[in-house]
Amino acid sequence: MTAILRNESGKLLRGTLTLTGLLVFLSGFFLLVFPSIQEEATLLEEVYPEYILALLGVEELHTIEGFVGGYIFPFMWVFIGGIYFAYVTAGMIAGDIRSRRMDLILSNPVSRESVVLQKMAALWVPLLGLISGFVAVLLVGVWGLGESIDLTALVMVHALGVPYLLVCSGIGIVCSVVFDRTESAQATAPGLVFLLWLVDGLSEMNPEFEWIGDLTPSRYYDPTAILVHGEYALLDAGVLLVAFLALVGLAAGLFIRRDI
Amino acid sequence: MSAELEDPDQETDQIPAPLTLSGLTKRYGDVTANDDVTFDVERGEIFGYLGPNGAGKTTTIRLLLGLIKPTAGTASVLGADIRDRRALTEAKANIGYLPDTLGFEERLTGRQALDYFARMRGDERRDELLELFHPPLDKRIETYSHGNRRMLGIIQAFMHDPELAILDEPTSGLDPLKQDRMHVFLEEERDAGKTIFFSSHILSEVQRVCDRVGIIRDGALVDLEDIEALLRRSGKRVWVQLAEPVDEAGFRTPEMIDIETVDRSIRFTYTGEYNALLEQLGRYELSDIEIGDPKLDDVFKHYYGDTAVTE
Repeated sequence: MTAILRNESGKLLRGTLTLTGLLVFLSGFFLLVFPSIQEEATLLEEVYPEYILALLGVEELHTIEGFVGGYIFPFMWVFIGGIYFAYVTAGMIAGDIRSRRMDLILSNPVSRESVVLQKMAALWVPLLGLISGFVAVLLVGVWGLGESIDLTALVMVHALGVPYLLVCSGIGIVCSVVFDRTESAQATAPGLVFLLWLVDGLSEMNPEFEWIGDLTPSRYYDPTAILVHGEYALLDAGVLLVAFLALVGLAAGLFIRRDI
Repeated sequence: MSAELEDPDQETDQIPAPLTLSGLTKRYGDVTANDDVTFDVERGEIFGYLGPNGAGKTTTIRLLLGLIKPTAGTASVLGADIRDRRALTEAKANIGYLPDTLGFEERLTGRQALDYFARMRGDERRDELLELFHPPLDKRIETYSHGNRRMLGIIQAFMHDPELAILDEPTSGLDPLKQDRMHVFLEEERDAGKTIFFSSHILSEVQRVCDRVGIIRDGALVDLEDIEALLRRSGKRVWVQLAEPVDEAGFRTPEMIDIETVDRSIRFTYTGEYNALLEQLGRYELSDIEIGDPKLDDVFKHYYGDTAVTE
């Protein structure tokens, strides 16, 4: 039974192309300005207050690894990517209930759990699109700049970034089964992702509140550590995967119990 | 397999009715959408579920499909208890469902939508149905008219040759010719041993097509013995405009009820023989005429009085 997966995958295609196109364009632009930033990097690191740098996870900005890990990934992948995944999944169930599509879907011999799982499985489309777009633009960009980047680190920064996006989509799918209105779900889920991202950054500034940041998904994905230091936090990625599975389980459980 | 099956009280050789509702109740806060609804639909019959808009017909249907959960009571659909999720999901392979509001994937063409449903439950009768009902399959559903949507809905409901069809207002939006075609199709299905449960708010349609009728009003079933009388008294809504003013007392016959006269226009509900009506009207010079079905709400109001409305 993969009819829903197939249909959902098709639905995500256009959004994926738009998102990937946008992020590739932005990343390309970032890479273009890198040489001029590189010259000013030391100055920038002095000019920006430390909390801004901490919020952005900036380190070693004058190297290509530091730039990609501290500039491109936090903004493109963690921020925009996270919000997109939460937004898309937030519409998956709520939208179908609202438009009465769910009546027809559930008139088939398919369980509600299966509906949730197939819809989530369709996220392979934006994941694949995003990864290919990023790898391509980074490889071309780095080559164009006459720089070099460690390939293992490049693979890992994408691989370990996937669980992070999945957690964001988990937040989205829970919102999607909780809210009756699509608009509410699609405002709350990205809002939560944004809030968690903000909390992570802010909590780092005060040691007393740093533990709060442990509750945010972005704490478990550090592109700078991967690219600059070659530290692959597999355990952190595992934590994110467990959180993702728990959120999907929660969403399925709530969806089974609710009236549509 | 299980101990219950060996229960001597159980008539094991008798196949259960495709639909059995027992005390089915759904409340939303203070509002009771379905109140202790109990009836059976037998194999090989067309059962009409009649009620005015908002009476609770769609609630019953959505309960039967497990889309909403009953507050009390239960029902079984093709032997599956609606509270048993897994059993109901399996039973759906043999159910055809036509919802009142058809939520298709708008960006798909009609053909793609049918392919989508076919992947989940088969489509062995698709071609046969497309000879009766022909929505523009290669156009996107977002461009469809009401009638085309409804036709696509009918095709998806029957294309996997279900044993039981649950249809919510199946003919709404169809032109009269297609409505007739649908009625004939339903009768053929019934004769082939299929069970049809359909809701409608149109009396004449239910009278014409259904073997048995259940009437729902304010969430509760109307007593079955009342139905015959109600259907008999429903009659036709007649409006005539006469060429000259006429004396109402001379015009009216005992079969005309709820008569209203405004200048040269007379409106009434006619409960007698149609030929007698035409004969009576033939005595007058008419400048305009309209004969139609009375609104079910009016029939109820007339039959039961205004109590529920003012409550």
